[in-house]
Amino acid sequence: MRPVGFSTSPNLVLRLPMWRSRLMLFLLFFVFMLLLIRAFWIQGPGNAFYEAKGIRGTQRELELPASRGKILDRNGQVIATSLEAKSVIAYNDTIPDDLSAEKVKSLANLLQISESELRKKLKEERKQIFLKRQVDPAVAQQIKQLEIPGIGLNNEYRRFYPEGEAMAHVVGFTNVNDKGQEGMELSREKELAGHPGQRRVVVDRLGRVVEEMAILQLPQNGKDLNLSIDSKIQFLAYNAVKNAVEQHHAKAGGAVVLDTQTGEILALANYPSYNPNDRKYLTGEQLRNRVLTDTFEPGSTMKPFTVSLALEKGQVQPNTQMVIGAKYLIGPKPITDTHPYGVLTVAQIIQKSSNIGTAKLAMNTSPQEMWELYTAAGFGQVPKIGFPGAVSGTLHPYKKWVPSDQARIAFGYGISASLFQVARAYTIFARDGELVPLTIERSPEIKAGTPVISAKTAIEMRSMLETVTEPGGTAIKAQAEGFRVGGKTGTAHKLVGKGYGNKYRAYFAGLAPISAPRIVVAVMIDEPTGGSHYGGDVAAPVFSTIVSETLHTLNVLPDSKVKQMVLQDKTPEEVRTANVQTQHVVLKR
Amino acid sequence: MNRATLTLLALLLICALSLVAAQQRARKLFLAQEQAQIEERKLNQEWLRLEYEQRNLSKSARIRDVARNQLHMSPISPERTLYLREVK
Repeated sequence: MRPVGFSTSPNLVLRLPMWRSRLMLFLLFFVFMLLLIRAFWIQGPGNAFYEAKGIRGTQRELELPASRGKILDRNGQVIATSLEAKSVIAYNDTIPDDLSAEKVKSLANLLQISESELRKKLKEERKQIFLKRQVDPAVAQQIKQLEIPGIGLNNEYRRFYPEGEAMAHVVGFTNVNDKGQEGMELSREKELAGHPGQRRVVVDRLGRVVEEMAILQLPQNGKDLNLSIDSKIQFLAYNAVKNAVEQHHAKAGGAVVLDTQTGEILALANYPSYNPNDRKYLTGEQLRNRVLTDTFEPGSTMKPFTVSLALEKGQVQPNTQMVIGAKYLIGPKPITDTHPYGVLTVAQIIQKSSNIGTAKLAMNTSPQEMWELYTAAGFGQVPKIGFPGAVSGTLHPYKKWVPSDQARIAFGYGISASLFQVARAYTIFARDGELVPLTIERSPEIKAGTPVISAKTAIEMRSMLETVTEPGGTAIKAQAEGFRVGGKTGTAHKLVGKGYGNKYRAYFAGLAPISAPRIVVAVMIDEPTGGSHYGGDVAAPVFSTIVSETLHTLNVLPDSKVKQMVLQDKTPEEVRTANVQTQHVVLKR
Repeated sequence: MNRATLTLLALLLICALSLVAAQQRARKLFLAQEQAQIEERKLNQEWLRLEYEQRNLSKSARIRDVARNQLHMSPISPERTLYLREVK
């Protein structure tokens, strides 16, 4: 056998069909094409999806917190502030079923709820549930230390009100979501509310922020609000009202203190009150800001306006004598006085609060003139101070008045107003005939008013109002130590159903010091029982307390004729080095 | 490979390394800034809390209570007050 070369071995000569290699080539090419297309897809049109996925792994959008503005009083004292608090959230699907009883018990204890209640909450269908909102930071820390999986803490803000009850009706309160619900918190919600911002960041594997990509929205903290209220005056007014309500077993009470020069509201007190720091009390009647939202018949506090009109028209002078008599027959029921008077001067009509005298003066003027004066003094008009729920009261159009209406409106029946409106109207006597625009925000400049009556009439009326607090007047108890005061009492029968029942409201509205009026104070005590129900006995002492303490707080110079004051003019140096045994008060006005 | 290429290569390497270093530094600084911002927020909150606490301690009700009951003070009365007027 002849040897054959390796390469020529017939066994190795393989004749494969051509199509097999072609197929292989095609398949390889095809798969490569697929890969190529896929690569193009990923890089091109399908890119967004993958980019988003990549970003989700490394980028986060975080909230930039913003806080609600503070509310400050006129001296910059905090009366409402937001502090950080935590809310406890349960993510029910991640809470293990075999959670130890001990841990549940301690969590229930920290949340101040019963164990069974907590267990019920943890078994609820919802994925996420608030176990408790706004817990104290210390409690939150303890909850964190329990290390229960699925129990998380969230940052929140909680509103605090250091002045509590005394300021509650002015400031109002917010709900759990930090939204204003009442008072200034509600009416200035827009300015006070903070708007959280957002930013995009890059996080590392452990979730730490390593880079900031962009600030999507800048956080905006709420603006602070400066009120015209003085916490000290507010507190003393609140206490004076509270004491009077308790002493006279009354249903409620309120007081307003206004600065006659700047038109600022210094105090707006209501009793009964509530503690805005405790959520469980934030319902019911006590929330009402009676001073602004309740209207009543102003009774005798209306008389100075009627008498002013007669003076203004020159029909009478303060010393003009008038025959009063025991009864004045007009309309279905005769008008009477508490004591029958024979002859009184116009000034005495105010001093003794004679219904007949006032009605007789009113009948000499036309209904239109009366209506115009009352309207100019703000009756029947909503006070524009931006407070929620402020009411207008009612003053019917003069065309509907019959003579007996006119006579009764003259001494404050058949007309209704809020205590705040009465106080505002009294600024015309304090400001030489001008009605001062009022504000609840701090604005210490002296405001120009709208003239309502002449300065002459206002000055005459001031001295008449002073006689009310002097011997022979209806409100000797309104006298304030060191200061000359003036004002008018009011004792109004309360409307019960269709008629007047046995319930009363006692008022006093006045101004001080008479020589240069700085404040107007109006006081209302609702349904005093046990003892006297007269404005001069119930409301006047409250006025006295508020006036003397407020004027001290404002450093106003006493003007009383009775008490001898020691007055010295000193330079600031001498004032600082003054060495006197008595207390000294430096007057800056 | 001539000299110029080698120098450029060295330069490139140095640049690359310094870029890495700079980025590392930027991250560190950023972290420090983040920390400082968190600290700032914390201190701000602390300040608000302290302000509130101070206010709580100086609220009118407490002052009156302490003055009356602990210090036995009484309200000022015009009778025993000397009024001094500041001359401007």
